[in-house]
Amino acid sequence: MKTLKGEIVANRKYSDNLYKLEVFSPYICKNAKPAQFINIKCSRQGSDDPLLRRPFSIYEIDEQFNVFSVLFLVRGRGTQFMADLRKGESLDFVGPLGQPIKIPENDSRFVLIGGGIGVVPLCLIAKNLKSIGKTVHFFAGFKDEAFYTWERDLIKILKDYKIFSENGVFGEKGIPLNYIRENFSEFKDHHFIVCGPLEMLKQAQSFLKDRKVRAIAIMEEKMACGIGACMGCVIKIKNKNNGYSYKKVCSDGPAFDLMEVCFD
Amino acid sequence: MTDYFSDETGLEVRMGNIVLKNPVITCSGTFASGIEYSKFYDVSVLGAITTKSFSLERMAGNLPPRICETSSGMLNSIGLQNEGIDYFINEQLQEAKKLGVEIIPSIFGRDLDEFKKIAYKIKNIEEEIIAVELNLSCPNVAEGGIAFCASAEQVGNIVAATKEILHTGIIVKLSGHYNNISETASAAKKYGADAAAVINTIPATAFDIETCKPKLGNITGGLSGPAIKPVALLKVFELAKENIIPIIGIGGIMTWQDAIEFIIAGASAVGVGTANFIYPECGRDILQGIKQYMRRKNIGDIKMLKGIAISNIIKG
Ligand SMILES: Cc1cc2nc3c(=O)[nH]c(=O)nc-3n(C[C@H](O)[C@H](O)[C@H](O)COP(=O)(O)OP(=O)(O)OC[C@H]3O[C@@H](n4cnc5c(N)ncnc54)[C@H](O)[C@@H]3O)c2cc1C
Ligand SMILES: Cc1cc2nc3c(=O)[nH]c(=O)nc-3n(C[C@H](O)[C@H](O)[C@H](O)COP(=O)(O)O)c2cc1C
Ligand code: FES
Repeated sequence: MKTLKGEIVANRKYSDNLYKLEVFSPYICKNAKPAQFINIKCSRQGSDDPLLRRPFSIYEIDEQFNVFSVLFLVRGRGTQFMADLRKGESLDFVGPLGQPIKIPENDSRFVLIGGGIGVVPLCLIAKNLKSIGKTVHFFAGFKDEAFYTWERDLIKILKDYKIFSENGVFGEKGIPLNYIRENFSEFKDHHFIVCGPLEMLKQAQSFLKDRKVRAIAIMEEKMACGIGACMGCVIKIKNKNNGYSYKKVCSDGPAFDLMEVCFD
Repeated sequence: MTDYFSDETGLEVRMGNIVLKNPVITCSGTFASGIEYSKFYDVSVLGAITTKSFSLERMAGNLPPRICETSSGMLNSIGLQNEGIDYFINEQLQEAKKLGVEIIPSIFGRDLDEFKKIAYKIKNIEEEIIAVELNLSCPNVAEGGIAFCASAEQVGNIVAATKEILHTGIIVKLSGHYNNISETASAAKKYGADAAAVINTIPATAFDIETCKPKLGNITGGLSGPAIKPVALLKVFELAKENIIPIIGIGGIMTWQDAIEFIIAGASAVGVGTANFIYPECGRDILQGIKQYMRRKNIGDIKMLKGIAISNIIKG
């Protein structure tokens, strides 16, 4: 991990509040692994407002051109700053951060379920799984139209996917988990990787647990340092004594065994 | 390129029995034990690092979320999560020593007795540390949970007890929250403390107007970062004017300019906290900035800078 500056190659607007920021960085392209993230300074040089860096999953890596991207939703001041960045400007970030996801070697078939912006880390994971010859089914679910044009990125990674929207304005109407429930026999011996809102992860946990399916969750929490030094980003992870201990999303994660995450 | 780090002339800081090679220290809780940050730069350039505060037993800490951004600052409600002093002594210290930097373990107890027990454990590693920092901003369980530093008597008792056990330097970490900082600093000095680290985070909170709930799992937390700098400067300045005890100035230091401001307001050394989260190399950069400033101003010794603003006010 390093503090880096990278030139912005493009900032593409996907919809009203969804953007893809492409950044030149040989260091990230060479060293970043699936599920890792970067911590972006969302203020001009010399300004510390907003103060804390904001964490973003690495979305794509183009090794040929040394360009990686982050896909982000405008939520508040930090992401608005990112939306306003222009080609040619410099991005100040720290990375790559977090543990790379450990792909279970013996499993050959995977189901990836992404809810909303949770699809981001799954894209790099999907690409990686495909490159090592694994079978991947990708399910993505969205609340509204923000991701309407995003399919063009997914189709470049794999063909075996389904997109759902809750209101039915694009893809199929519904949510991925219902589809999985209804067609579970097809997926029962797959390894699941899920990322999305807490409610989705919670439901995935209870459904998959009953069926003894193994699953990895990519988690989020508010962060300060992003490198494991402040204890700010902890979540509850079950321990052997039927209790829980706090684990750091930034340095122990962001990937955890879904069955060990406590959602109380 | 000039190597600003090879030349340490005029940077040495003496606070009671504690001698630091330069005035830049990292603050408790913001730098862990230095290992994470050593991936960014050679932390041995620092005057010292202060560890996360350790208690007698491990502590789980507070419910998440523990972090929230506020105007030019942040709130944290870590709740002093730590693995306990034995973990520090047995697992972390040797790793941290490899970094080649002086180490100041920060410790806290729930009552006087716990402080003593921890001090006895520290006694075994006294040769390996430069000082110990007593985090007196934590609640005194025996006295109904009010912070130790709310009472000069409590501060005196803890310092006296620690001094009986340890020969290493003693730093008291005081909160700016109570209007008694001169009395507590005086008590600390009287019973043998070498320096006071001023200030800790300021109690604060924030609410989410969409969910209408607190933004922190613990409801309240501590404010740090640039937002607290003027408050911290005033505390340092007021305490320094009375010339009671050497001061480590802490609160919102982001740049070398901030560090110089604390030093001219009377601090002997400076503690860098929240800034590490945003600029992982800031300890090194602040030190370099101080050196360049001293050169530009032709100041041969950092001691000449200490408290200049106070003497200027007195001179009028
Ligand atoms: C490991 C990790 C990876 C992430 N990857 C992505 C990504 O690829 N794309 C993306 O768009 N977002 C991602 N996020 C979330 C992103 O960091 C936040 O949306 C961002 O910090 C909001 O900053 P802001 O200043 O715009 O909003 P703020 O003003 O800080 O907050 C606005 C809203 O965003 C929410 N928010 C703030 N911080 C976080 C956070 N850390 N996690 C979740 N919600 C948050 C707040 O609760 C609030 O509702 C990731 C978060 C983590 C922890
Ligand atoms: C995340 C976090 C954890 C902290 N943990 C401790 C601690 O364990 N012990 C302590 O004495 N101070 C702790 N502090 C307070 C800092 O050491 C420092 O006094 C305070 O943050 C003000 O300085 P700053 O504005 O430069 O951060 C913590 C601060 C932060 C932000
Ligand atoms: S954000 Fe500091 S430990 Fe994770």
